[in-house]
Amino acid sequence: MTDTSRRKLIAVAGAGAAAGAVALTPGMAFARETRAREGSATESVVAYVEDHRSDTVTFLIGEREVVVRDRDLVARILNAAGSSSMKES
Amino acid sequence: MSSHREAPEISKDPVADSTDVYAFVSPSKPDHVVLIANYVPLQAPDGGPNFYEFGDDVTYEIHISNSGKSTADISYQFRFTTEIRNPKTFLYNIGPISSIGDKNWNRPQFYSVTRVEGNKRRQLAGKLACPPVNVGPRSTPDYAKLSAQAVHKVGGIRVFAGQRADAFHVDLGSIFDLGALRPLNEAHLIPLAKMDGINSVQAFNVHSIAIEVPIKDLTRNGRRPKSVNSKNATIGVWTTAKRQKNRMYDDKQNRYRGTGPWEQVSRLGNPLVNEVLIPMAEKDRWNHTAPKNDSKYAKYVDKPELAALLPVLYPGAFPNLAKYGKPRADLNAILLTGIPKGVVPGFQNYTGPVASDMLRLNMAVPPSANPNDLGLVGGDAAGYPNGRRINDDVVTIELRAIAGLTLPLVDPSFKPDGAASAAADGTSNTNAAATSSFPHLGLPGGGYQTTPGTTKAS
Repeated sequence: MTDTSRRKLIAVAGAGAAAGAVALTPGMAFARETRAREGSATESVVAYVEDHRSDTVTFLIGEREVVVRDRDLVARILNAAGSSSMKES
Repeated sequence: MSSHREAPEISKDPVADSTDVYAFVSPSKPDHVVLIANYVPLQAPDGGPNFYEFGDDVTYEIHISNSGKSTADISYQFRFTTEIRNPKTFLYNIGPISSIGDKNWNRPQFYSVTRVEGNKRRQLAGKLACPPVNVGPRSTPDYAKLSAQAVHKVGGIRVFAGQRADAFHVDLGSIFDLGALRPLNEAHLIPLAKMDGINSVQAFNVHSIAIEVPIKDLTRNGRRPKSVNSKNATIGVWTTAKRQKNRMYDDKQNRYRGTGPWEQVSRLGNPLVNEVLIPMAEKDRWNHTAPKNDSKYAKYVDKPELAALLPVLYPGAFPNLAKYGKPRADLNAILLTGIPKGVVPGFQNYTGPVASDMLRLNMAVPPSANPNDLGLVGGDAAGYPNGRRINDDVVTIELRAIAGLTLPLVDPSFKPDGAASAAADGTSNTNAAATSSFPHLGLPGGGYQTTPGTTKAS
């Protein structure tokens, strides 16, 4: 697992227990050393940022959908998506 | 067609495409109702080596509303899993398939059935076998036997899921060539020689989910209604197909995988509603909408585009229809609310004021001893639009209704044009014959028996 995907998974894990829209305190949960906690997602996760100007990211997990509002998280996903190390077909 | 390829998005996703819904009181077990949902349209029987099947990544559902709110009060969910027994062959079967458990069948399909009522989910069965498709006399030499083996008894219900012959008949080639009806060709704006209709669906198969349920399992009070006027007598029925929100190609498994909640991508209640009443730009959204939210589409029922087109396409043939400017209360009742008491003597299938496209079945109306394929407009209250039987000629019924034939039921001042009762696409039911026993749709045409380029059904 790459560092980028590990951090994305951890980010999702932080929000995984919540249902519906969740507002996280900026900078609280996503420090680099954040570790997966009990109950975090253990299956494939898809992150969807519909609007790059928004603070909203949607995570699709199993048969669920979790909407997280966190501008910092969105920015980090966008940065990762725009990095030159991304696989391109 | 009834709902084959009726909207832009679903026309590209045949495995999830609802094609027809049937709901009728069982002629052989009149205390039961048969509900049938067809999917995967226009299957050429010889479509091997990867023959047609249900989607493992689709949730198929039959919904029943019994509360008068047009909500899904009871749903039957069907989920499929497909296995490959021998990964080293390209063949669908490696010898004759003599039973549905035959190891010669290389790609068997199984399904679960779950009943959902409110917050209660109850799996009725976990791994029921489908029959194979009808490959041909060497591979599926006794198809009727395979079909019979795939009828499963689960508690008080019977269920079947697998390939059948399509029972719908319609002249697609003509209707979608500027609304032409071949028997009325000479009267068309662009006239051609008059001729009989051509049944475009003949010889094609579908994949069918059929369930036979005790009537008392579907009513609000858990009892079989005795009176046609009972408020518990009428149910609304529709089907859906759902896919997970995200679909991603897995390049390790070499297949698509779904993630996220299930989203409705197809639905069907009354035949032809999304097909010919809903504008093209709204068809995909309609497929994603629940019936209880259909009020925004009522304007397309109240003022159908096709009713305005008929007088243009057939100049002089529909003068009374052309002059009629009021909303079509007859179509609104037939398609969106059910027919209230007092409109048709001795009959009603009203489900309340919520405008919603559902197939409404008054279960207190007994099966007809002499069915008329024109259903209620032919004087047979056991047929469409009181539910829908296999042989009901829904194209003619709806065509004539849109042409104004049913308008006097709610507006006695309207006199239908002579052409309204002659409106028909000229097809007859030349599909494989329906069977008298469950699951009622005819056996599917076989691949070997098919002659491409013809419309021969066998």
